[in-house]
Amino acid sequence: MDIQDEGGRANGADRTCNKETIASCFDEESGLLDRRIFADQEIYDQEMRNIFARAWNFMCHESQIPNVGDYFINHIGEDQVIVVRDKQGEVQVLLNTCRHRGNALCRAEEGNVKSFVCSYHGWNYDLNGDLIGVPGITPYYRKDFDKSTLGLVKAAQVDNLHGFYFATLDADAPSLHDYLGEVGRIGLGMMATNGEVAIVDGIQKNVIDCNWKIAVDNLYDWYHVQYSHASAGIAGFMDIAAILHPQNQMIMMGDYGHAISGPAIPEDMQAAIDAMSDEERKAIADESFVDGEAPRLLPRLKVARELLGPVGVRSMGHPNIFPNLWVATNGTQLSLRLPRGPYKTEIWWFTFLPKDMPEDKRKRAIAFNSHLFGPAGMLEQDDGENWSQSTRASRGVKARTFPHHVAMGLGHDEVQTDAASGQSRVETTISEHAQRWHYKSWTDWMLADSWVDLKANHTPAPKGRV
Amino acid sequence: MPQAQEASAVDTGLSRLSLQQRLELQFEIEQFFYVEAALLDAREYRAWLDLWTQDCSYWMPIRRTVALADIDREFTKRGDMSFYDDDKKMLAMRIAKMESGSSWSEDPPSRSRHFVSNVRIVSIEGDETSVELAFALYRSRLNDDESIWVGRRVDRLRRVGGDLKLCDREIYLDQTLISATNMSTLF
Ligand code: FES
Ligand SMILES: [Fe+2]
Repeated sequence: MDIQDEGGRANGADRTCNKETIASCFDEESGLLDRRIFADQEIYDQEMRNIFARAWNFMCHESQIPNVGDYFINHIGEDQVIVVRDKQGEVQVLLNTCRHRGNALCRAEEGNVKSFVCSYHGWNYDLNGDLIGVPGITPYYRKDFDKSTLGLVKAAQVDNLHGFYFATLDADAPSLHDYLGEVGRIGLGMMATNGEVAIVDGIQKNVIDCNWKIAVDNLYDWYHVQYSHASAGIAGFMDIAAILHPQNQMIMMGDYGHAISGPAIPEDMQAAIDAMSDEERKAIADESFVDGEAPRLLPRLKVARELLGPVGVRSMGHPNIFPNLWVATNGTQLSLRLPRGPYKTEIWWFTFLPKDMPEDKRKRAIAFNSHLFGPAGMLEQDDGENWSQSTRASRGVKARTFPHHVAMGLGHDEVQTDAASGQSRVETTISEHAQRWHYKSWTDWMLADSWVDLKANHTPAPKGRV
Repeated sequence: MPQAQEASAVDTGLSRLSLQQRLELQFEIEQFFYVEAALLDAREYRAWLDLWTQDCSYWMPIRRTVALADIDREFTKRGDMSFYDDDKKMLAMRIAKMESGSSWSEDPPSRSRHFVSNVRIVSIEGDETSVELAFALYRSRLNDDESIWVGRRVDRLRRVGGDLKLCDREIYLDQTLISATNMSTLF
């Protein structure tokens, strides 16, 4: 690494987006992170190709599209996609672009259709993407036309876990199960520990002038909570100190960049919880669930232990399914950070609650979730400007030569592995281990030429000293 | 979603008022909103909160782009997710947040200008009057962060003693994707 005397990086602003520069952006020895990754259009374009077009991207939950013809619009990088339930009841993910002149088929955010009719010239596609109607096919095209080759473009693979649908544009991607690995599956498993869930109507969407990665790595950041969000505590909205557990932090890191970071139930406390019956656990959960005053140490039911394993069940932290899906709010919310150019990110908040939730509890949960995150949220109000100002300061010719410092706890901790389950984690104080893992994995994705390359050459989840 | 109401056979309570009474009520209500807007723009949040009844409700549903055929799903309903679903305690907490000395989304404070127009009294029921209006809220933050929120509001005002108080506000934004870093201001 080439560091100038005053601490700045030589020629940081001038290098092109080749492998050498990508490899040098994050220095795992020092925890320093080159700011150009938040500012550079070439790097952004490569993220679209190497990360988003390869990864399994979250689409929607099955409860959002229960009926034939129900659709929901989402994105895979800058590719807009239609997630739709077809006539066979299968979920299809189709690029939202007409094969004639590229117009969008769906212009609403969600809805129900019998087929997709293009508003430009009226080409008509079946729910599975097949082209079934072309106006004027005989008089204008004079039969010189093969409909079978002009269906909507399909995602290469679509699959779900616990009813949460994902899609990838890359046929070489591993199965969703293998992609998520244990850590990703624990993350999504948290959404399933409360029983069968359904979406609560309404997805909060806003756009922040920040790079998507700043928004993503913030979800691991339990360091900012006490300062950025102090006002929510002072106002009496929630006891910030009680949710932090700064000395009981656990980080789980998985292949391809998935991670979970945040508070954890200590082993002895978990043992006491394990000794309880589900009824006893439920009583405690009822008291503390969605109650901002109570510590977030929720005694999960027995099913959670089965889903999450003996280590995962102790995590009260924030999982990120690489690249951009945050499992939040005790497994009742998902947040997507959708890139819109290097300097813009859309933030989407989905809320899911158990179908059998008692009405009063459901009411409290919805109120709490509405008031917590989203642009008017008591917490998230204060996040956006930190991210937009960080992003902006990555553009200055001088400022961008000074790397971000992501070195908290570096070299001080050990990955421990549970002998029986094989689950690994770091247990420590507040740290930046997960952020470093995110950028280490980001480097792997950006350097890989293909999924074949990524599978063979990605950094395996850390063992030993971190 | 309440649609714009037309003069119809429904008894809105308005027919019981003389023209003079309607003019006076219209004047009183408009002046009330101008005072309210001035309090918000001057950051007099405690005085603003005093304009609300104890049992008040303040709600902004989520709006989404839907096809005409699905237009009844354009806004989320009460009890679904929303941007604001506040009682007086929650509004007081938002204000306490701004007063906390560490509410970074409002420190440096935003500069806001609240406009109300097209004020229509739509019904009178007992001591409560329902009003629909169009609003525009301009917010400027830091050097160049500008937001303009435009929409329709449905407010219910209650006569308490001699004064008007707000007991219910529904805020229907015209924007779907919120093009702002946050909504740290009050509507
Ligand atoms: S662009 Fe779709 S029919 Fe022509
Ligand atoms: Fe935050």
